[in-house]
Order: sequence, then C-alpha cells, then structure tokens
Amino acid sequence: MRVNEREEAMFKSVQDVIEQLGDQGYICDKKIATVVFLAQQLGKPVLVEGPAGVGKTELAKVVAKALGRNMIRLQCYEGLDEAKALYEWEYSKQLLYTQILKDKVAETLAGTQTLAEAADRVGAQDSVFFSSRFIVPRPLMQAITSEKPTLLLVDEVDKSDPEFEAFLLEVLSDFQVTIPEIGTIVAKSMPLVFLTSNDAREMSDALKRRCLHLWIDYPSEELEVRILDRKVPNIDKRLAEEVVGLMNRIRALDLKKTPSISETLDWARALLALNAEELEDQIVSDTLNVILKYEGDVEKAQNELAKLIKKRTAEVAAEKPQGAPAAEASAVKKGILH
Amino acid sequence: MQKKVIAFTNLLRKSGIRVSVAEGIDAFNALDELSLDDREIFRDALRTAMVKRGDDIAAYDELFELFWSGFYDNLRQAFDQMEGDLGAMGVDLDQILRQLAEMMKEMDGELDLSELAKALLTQDLSQLENLIRQAAQEAGTGRIENMLQVGFFSRRTAEQMGLEGASQELENLVERMRAMGMGDAQIQQLQELMRKLMETVRRTVRTFTERELQQQNHNYMEKFRREMLTEKSFYHLTEDEIARMREVVARLAQRIKNILSIRKKRLKRGKLDLHQTLRRNMARGGIPFEVVYKTRRKDRPKLVILCDVSSSVANVSRFMLQFMYSLQEAFTKIRCYVFVAELGEVTSVFQEKDISAAIEKALDGGDVINVYTRSNFGYAFHEFWKNHLASIDKKTTVMILGDARNNYNDAKAWCIRDIQNKAKNVVWLNPESPSAWGFGDSVMDRYMPYCDIVEECRNLRQLSKVVDQIIL
Repeated sequence: MRVNEREEAMFKSVQDVIEQLGDQGYICDKKIATVVFLAQQLGKPVLVEGPAGVGKTELAKVVAKALGRNMIRLQCYEGLDEAKALYEWEYSKQLLYTQILKDKVAETLAGTQTLAEAADRVGAQDSVFFSSRFIVPRPLMQAITSEKPTLLLVDEVDKSDPEFEAFLLEVLSDFQVTIPEIGTIVAKSMPLVFLTSNDAREMSDALKRRCLHLWIDYPSEELEVRILDRKVPNIDKRLAEEVVGLMNRIRALDLKKTPSISETLDWARALLALNAEELEDQIVSDTLNVILKYEGDVEKAQNELAKLIKKRTAEVAAEKPQGAPAAEASAVKKGILH
Repeated sequence: MQKKVIAFTNLLRKSGIRVSVAEGIDAFNALDELSLDDREIFRDALRTAMVKRGDDIAAYDELFELFWSGFYDNLRQAFDQMEGDLGAMGVDLDQILRQLAEMMKEMDGELDLSELAKALLTQDLSQLENLIRQAAQEAGTGRIENMLQVGFFSRRTAEQMGLEGASQELENLVERMRAMGMGDAQIQQLQELMRKLMETVRRTVRTFTERELQQQNHNYMEKFRREMLTEKSFYHLTEDEIARMREVVARLAQRIKNILSIRKKRLKRGKLDLHQTLRRNMARGGIPFEVVYKTRRKDRPKLVILCDVSSSVANVSRFMLQFMYSLQEAFTKIRCYVFVAELGEVTSVFQEKDISAAIEKALDGGDVINVYTRSNFGYAFHEFWKNHLASIDKKTTVMILGDARNNYNDAKAWCIRDIQNKAKNVVWLNPESPSAWGFGDSVMDRYMPYCDIVEECRNLRQLSKVVDQIIL
C-alpha cells in the first residue's frame, strides 16, 4: 500500500520522523511520530484531536516542510459547503468569454435553419464552456489535482456541519472527484491528509473509522521545557523550568480555558521582554493575563498562587527557625515560586 | 501474534470501545510497517488504528497494560523469587539444574517427561506461559466473574495442565537419582527444589487467574459506566457516580445541540430573496446565475425553569440544572428560578459562573432565597405570578421541576393556569413515580390539569426523553 513510487522525501522510520521534525523545530514524542510514520506508510488520513494550542495545526505544517510538500489548507467553519471546499464554476469568466466570443458563436451558428438546429450546434460545443478552464479549484480539488504530492490540512473539522463531514468522507476514501460536466478526476498523487479537531463536537464514527487517530495532550514537563528551549532560544534554562512547573500547576486548576503550549511560549516571550530572570511574584501576577483569557480564571490562578506562596513562605520559615530576617524577606520577595 | 492481537481487539470490544473490522485490519497493516521491538511504538500503533475517541484512551492504556504487560513478566518475577528463596537456603539453582541435565542426558531415552515437567526443569518460561495459557483456555477461565471463583478456576487450570502428574514425575525423578547413587544432602536439596517448583507454578497459575478476573472486571466496570448510569435513579448516586454522571450529561447535551444545528439547516430554504439575488449576481450583469433564498429561521425556544431546590430533590435538581447550563446556547433566552418557599432568580449566576460553581450556588439558593424552610409550591408560584409573569410570552416553555410535596399548604393551582395561558407550554418534571402523585401531601393532581407535559424524571434516560420532547 505504498503511497507513491516516485522519488520523493519520505520518512524512513519512527526515529527518522522525530529527527526530521526536530530539524524543523517541532519537538515531538514517539506517540506523535508513530502516527505520522504510519500515516505515510498506510496512506491514511490522520485525525488529530486535543485541546486548543497544543500544536495540531503546527504538526501538519512541519510535516509538510519536512517532506518538502506543498501544504494546502482547508479551514472549516459552520456553513462551509462543497462549492467552497471542492470547486466552483467561474460564472463571470464564462460570461465574459461568451461576450468576447460572440462573433465566433454567430459564425458557428451561421447557416442553421431552425432553433433546434442552432441549439444542437451550441450543444456540440458544450465542452468549451464546461471545461477545467472555467473551474475555480478549491482546496480539496487542488490537493487532488496537484502534480506534486501535497499535504492537505483540513483544519478544525469539528466546526463544519455533519453534512459536510459526510461529503468529506467520500473524497477522503478514494481521492477522486466527480464533476458532472467533465467527468471523474482521480488524484495524480496521494495527498497526505491531516484533519484537526478541537472536540467541539464528536466526529462521526464513519469518519473516525477511515482515519488514524492521534490525541495530542499537554506535553510532559520535560518535553515542554525542551519545546520552550527550542522556540524561545534566549531563555534561561532555569527560568524555562520554572515557567513550565508553574504552568502545570495552573493547568491542574479547574479553569474555563486551560492554557496550552502556545500560551507557555507567549508567556516565556513576555517574561523575556520584561527582562525577568526568575519568576517573581509581582511579575507573575502582572503577566497572568498572557496565559489566562478569562477574568474568572485569572482570579482562580491568583488564589492558587497566593496559597502556594503562603506554603512556601511557611516552608522557608520552618527551614530556618532563627534565620536572619533579611534573608527570609528576600526569599519571600522572589524565588518563592520555584 | 496475530491471534493475540485479535484477542486484544475482542477485549477492547467487550470493554465498550468500538473497534470495527476495518480498524482491526488497519492495525495489522500498521504493525507490518513497524518493527515491534519497541513496546511504546507497538502500543501507539494499535491505538491510532483502533481507538478513536479521546475518552477511551485511558481505558485503552489500562487494558493494554493488563493484556500485554506480559504474564511472562509475572512468571519471571515468581521464578526469580524462587531462585532467591532457594539461594537463601543454600541451594544453588543453576548448579543443581545443570547436574540434573547431565544426569538426565545419561539416561537418555528411558526418561519420558511431560511437556510441563520439561519446561520446569529447563526453566523454559515462555513454554510454561504457553502451557498455562492453553490450560486456562481449556478450563474456561475467561468466564470468571468474581473473586470467589479464583480458587476454582486456578484449580481447574492446574488440572488441565496436568500439574499433579508433573509433580509425580519430578518425585520419581528424584527417586531415580537416589537410586543412581546421589548423596543424601543433594537429594534433599533436590526435593526442596521440586517442592518449590510446584509451589511457584501454583502461585503463577493463581496470578494468571487473577489477571483474567481483572480484565473481565474491567469490562464489567466499563459496561456499567456506559449503560447503567443512564438508568440509575438520581436519588441513589454516589459521589463518584455524580462525577461520572456529569460527563454523561455533557455528552447528552452535546448530542441535542448537534440535532438542533442540523434542524436549523434543514429549515434554511425559504422564498426567493430578490434583494440578495440581485446583489450576488451584479458581477454577471444582473443575470441571475445564482439564486439566493431567504432563510427561514426556526426560533430557538425560550425557556423558563422553576427548580425546586429543597433537600428532598437536590440530586435531581443538580442534573437538571447542569443539563440546562450545558444547553444555554441552544436557547435564545433561558431564565432560571429556584425556590423552596421563596422564589428567586439565578439567571445571572448561570451566565457568570462556570458550571460547577453555578450549580452549587443555585442549589444553595443563590443568595436570593432561604433554602432552609419547608417546601411551599403554592407560595412560590404565587410569587412568580406576581413578579415575573411578564417574562413569559407565547414562545416560552416553562419547565417546573419538583415533587409537588406541598406540606399541606395552599396549592394555588390557578397560578399555573395563568402561566399556561401565556406560555407555549408548561412542562412538569416530577422525580416521584406517578403512583405517588396526589397521595399524602403531594398536590401533583391539582397542578396536572394545567400542564401540557407531566413526566416522571428520575434518571438520565427519562431526562433526555423529556428534553427531546421540548426542543424537537
């Protein structure tokens, strides 16, 4: 079931996937790499699910880059229909052509006796007006007709309507499109397909059956530190660890919108911009709104932080029962959060 | 291998994870493409092909561990332990086995040992694993249902393996060794070894049976999680079940939202929209290539909820409120009142707080009413009639949740009549069974004539049925 015999970049093994994606600046674990590798080997679409901001779309982008494929993106939204996803007839162009070719049309029709005869003549020329010349290919069509193998990203497929999902199934299962006026167009090369979903609604079983499934969750602390290190190169290793540690603590809270990797990166960049060398309480509470997008969430996180600081202060105090008050005060001021 | 993957697939199915045949085939194809020496990759490959729901992943991981964390490891452990024990008694297992092997070679031919005995003497654990698995299958260990049967199935498995026979063979072997002139001390060591071997095998068989039970149990738990919860009365939920019930309710709400979205779509085609058609076709000189229709919108229902939050129905109210919270976006307007005797509006709580906080607050009276009084439906309805009747119009569905146990107060059923006259319909959900309506201090029969729908609502299935009726 090889995707393509022609020469093109391919991943050779799971390890190879990890390395090549790493070269593109995407750090992934074996779980992700296994699925990507299998998708390539089996020629199956991948349905990527997981919370927002963990790098689902990014994954498709780097895979495209690593394989040197052109990425075609189809952004789904409520009300997306075939015309916008597959192809559309370009009416105005057709109209323009008929206008310009008026004389030619008259010529063709010259000598016809009856209306029926004229209509037949025009009918014989049908294919001129319903040819690929007048078709506006939309992402799905582009992916199928492309000469070079591509990567098709169907983003946020959960936002589309159930009917569109059914239609998508048809395209994904045999990679061919039927245009009534022209005929069936079969994919010249198999595109690699990624579908992403934020779980706004559950996708149908039929779709899931045809796809490999990948669940990307929040990364482990160690992985997140590496990602941070990679994406924000100037960051101090210690600061990165602190940021990730605190981030995981915040994720454990019951929040309306749990911050994900992209928020971690934003936060780290914000801290760098503020020249913060370590997580001082003041800076943390000042910049919380970078990672939390709801007022209620910020409040909750503040409370949690206050609790944490209290605990740490108590610990520090317990450690040095008769310790110098000055040292204690400075410990309270900063350094408390790691 | 193939067989084992299929068995694993069946286990997943039994545990309520839907795996189609096509997905099973995908799993095999996936395994073909990979080297199988990496356990993680193996696990992920099977998962990506067969498990497609985020919710199922935890269950899958657990089952994978149970199924694949080979029983072999358990065996290894048991035998290592045995070796250690023997070592502590001054018996060198390796040496003794080597000696045995040599002596057995000498009497090559006359010795006819069973598979099991051979596997034991050569410490061939994978062969032993196979033997145990086979025996367990013949003994029907897969049907095990509870702890009490562990002993029974272990014994049967041991019987199937011919453990007694093997034990006899080993004893005979020791006797022959003695006859061949082995020293007393060594014979004693040998006897100790044989005894230990038997004991270890028995123990591992038991472990195997217990593992089997765990797998079966897991199936049972999963089934319970998925099916029983919808039927279980809200009154009898444990803390743990309440937590899980939340998930189920959320899923139900999502399903209803989906249905609503489809329905909105179907109603889309209406009359020709001349204005839009002209505008859209301006690029083609006003020739109507593309025709636009007016969209006919089906109004999303308005909903007013009156929820009894007295302690007798608190559990039911909790799910009702959660359900309504999840459905907020499906309704244009949702207003929520809670009452025991006094009546207060908690709509703002619903809009501002997140789900669990909002529900707790509403159940606690939402700072607007005192919940520590005795239920008085009549009083509450009268208050509503006085102050909030204006919020009801002909598109509004009024939903009342309560057991109608009025503590012998005035029922004031005419308030409900007036509400019904203004509203689209009045729905009453009563957590008590119909046979109790109207008995004792229940005044359900007084209110019933003025309600369009009166339903018993005590578990999730009933709740979803009612909601289907209201919005579809």
